[in-house]
Amino acid sequence: MACLVAAPASQSPAPSPPEVEALLQHLDDLYRSRSSIARIQIDVTSPRSTRTMRLKAWTRGEDEVLVIIEAPPREAGTATLRVGNNLWNYLPRIARTIRVPPAAMLGSWMGTDFTNDDLVKESSLRKDFAARIDRRSEAPKGWWLALDVKPGVVGRWARIELLVSDDRLPVEERHFDRKGRLARTMTFDDVQRLGGRRMPAHITMQPADAGGQRTEMRYLDVQFDVPLPNDTFSLSRLEQVR
Amino acid sequence: MTALAGSSTIRMAWRNLWRNRRRTALALAAIGLSVTLVLAYTSIMRAYGDWIVEAITGPMLGHVQVHAPQWRKDRLMDRTLRDAGEKLELLRADPGVADATARVYAPALAARGEEGFAVMVVGIDPRAESGPARLLSDTTRLTAAKQALIGQQLAEQMGVKAGDELAIVGQGVDGSLANDLFIVAALVSTPVDVLNRQGILIDLAEAQTLFAMPDEAHEIVVHTHDAGAAAMVARRVAAAGAFAGAEVMDWRTLAPEMVEMVRLTELAGLLVLFLVFIAAAAGVANTMVMATFERTREFGMLLALGTHPSRLVALVVAESIVLGVVGAFVGSLIGVALVAVTHETGIDYAQLAGGGPSALSFQGMRMSLHFHPTLTVIDVVRPFAAVCLTSLLASIWPAVRASRLQPVQSLRGA
Repeated sequence: MACLVAAPASQSPAPSPPEVEALLQHLDDLYRSRSSIARIQIDVTSPRSTRTMRLKAWTRGEDEVLVIIEAPPREAGTATLRVGNNLWNYLPRIARTIRVPPAAMLGSWMGTDFTNDDLVKESSLRKDFAARIDRRSEAPKGWWLALDVKPGVVGRWARIELLVSDDRLPVEERHFDRKGRLARTMTFDDVQRLGGRRMPAHITMQPADAGGQRTEMRYLDVQFDVPLPNDTFSLSRLEQVR
Repeated sequence: MTALAGSSTIRMAWRNLWRNRRRTALALAAIGLSVTLVLAYTSIMRAYGDWIVEAITGPMLGHVQVHAPQWRKDRLMDRTLRDAGEKLELLRADPGVADATARVYAPALAARGEEGFAVMVVGIDPRAESGPARLLSDTTRLTAAKQALIGQQLAEQMGVKAGDELAIVGQGVDGSLANDLFIVAALVSTPVDVLNRQGILIDLAEAQTLFAMPDEAHEIVVHTHDAGAAAMVARRVAAAGAFAGAEVMDWRTLAPEMVEMVRLTELAGLLVLFLVFIAAAAGVANTMVMATFERTREFGMLLALGTHPSRLVALVVAESIVLGVVGAFVGSLIGVALVAVTHETGIDYAQLAGGGPSALSFQGMRMSLHFHPTLTVIDVVRPFAAVCLTSLLASIWPAVRASRLQPVQSLRGA
């Protein structure tokens, strides 16, 4: 009996599972590092229309983000600043800066399939979720990680499943809502060398229920660990972005 | 011949009834009072039902609504009705339609200063939405371009007053950024709670521009002349080519819990009607049984003189029916008169209850407690017919008893 069970394992020896904490930390740093400046193109496809936006994004550490829309002209100069759990939008057309209230956090960010919450919450994955190696994936070769929300944490997701390839790059991320239903899937592909590291340059966000609706994000270029002026992530800077 | 016999029977019945004035008067009063009470009760229940229907359909729901499929489920911005103007014109041309208006609903952020608040921007045609039992009770207050009405509670929460400038930021139907500044024209308290808490009302055309949806709307609301004809109008509209692919629903389908409530009041009315029948039946039966017992000798005499028993049956039945008809007639007269007097001015429930709240909230709709007793023809005919039928049934036993009398025994006995 023992031979039978052991036999398949000995034929294709699975690599030993990675250390979860270190792997998540690595993934967190992948697109961000200590600081980053990126140019990103976003394509939003809906049954009704397709839109393309080009934006520039600065990040520092885990909770400072500044995003400025550069195109199309109608929206150029519109900016989003995140510091900690606070999110502000600057709207050049009406020359106003508005803080996004908690009640609007689940609303769409700039008409994409990303929510405001996605900009704020991305760093709290390791804090709010208990991660473990779930299962081996054969195609592509890698590991499925399961992140279950910790008891008492209020949030949108009950569970996140993450497929990480053996070369430690994200492949797919599935978000399950509080009722356990698949709500959306993110896929990562087109691995390129950007800013001196290999990373998937193309990310697709696909909501589960909306037919034909998706948002694609393409990194055009990235610089990592560039020194940024201290006032980069301030409200006064937000309003003079142009 | 039979008509003559019939009328003579009735005349005789009428005379016989008044041989015991007090008893007949009492029976008539009992029947009349019951019928009056039924009518009063029915009229108030009907007023209550009408009032619920109006309170629910008037300001927000309307009698018929048109949406893009799915919109009611997920309220996604881009599920719009195209060619809203053309659809409105078609609707307004329908003979059953009193008015039709379009709305835009857009979740957005509103801010006076830096602090954003999650709001619902509703684009409305202010003229179509104001009037008695409508969304805006006062005359239109969106007088200039780029004005907004803001829900009372939202304004308090935001610290906004009339004249303030509000930034509104949302998303166009194409996903593009929608942002503009509006001047608060007034704080409004509508009958719809959610609008008072979250609503910012702006002009329909401005909303269409702001959210990049020219000639499109999320909802078309139709008020029909007659709430009861809503389903028919909905079917007619849905069949029109311009509405192909749109979801057309009447208020009964949209708010089934309302229909249930109105039906419950009708059921309660039927129960009361039933109780009154029993009271009327008891009154008539009592009178007629007493009358036949009293007149055992008289009936015996008539039978001895060769009167056919069926004539006695006819006589007793006629007396009973005359009693019922006259009682019900008097009762109906008084009941209808009462309703006629109170219909115009209406009854203020809050005052009747001795102060208390002047409005109540039900399912997020604020409703005043003032309503108008109303009767339809069927409301009057039903208890009248019921009393007549009851009188007939109540006379059967005394009539049969009278017909079975043995002349000799009756004459000797009693």
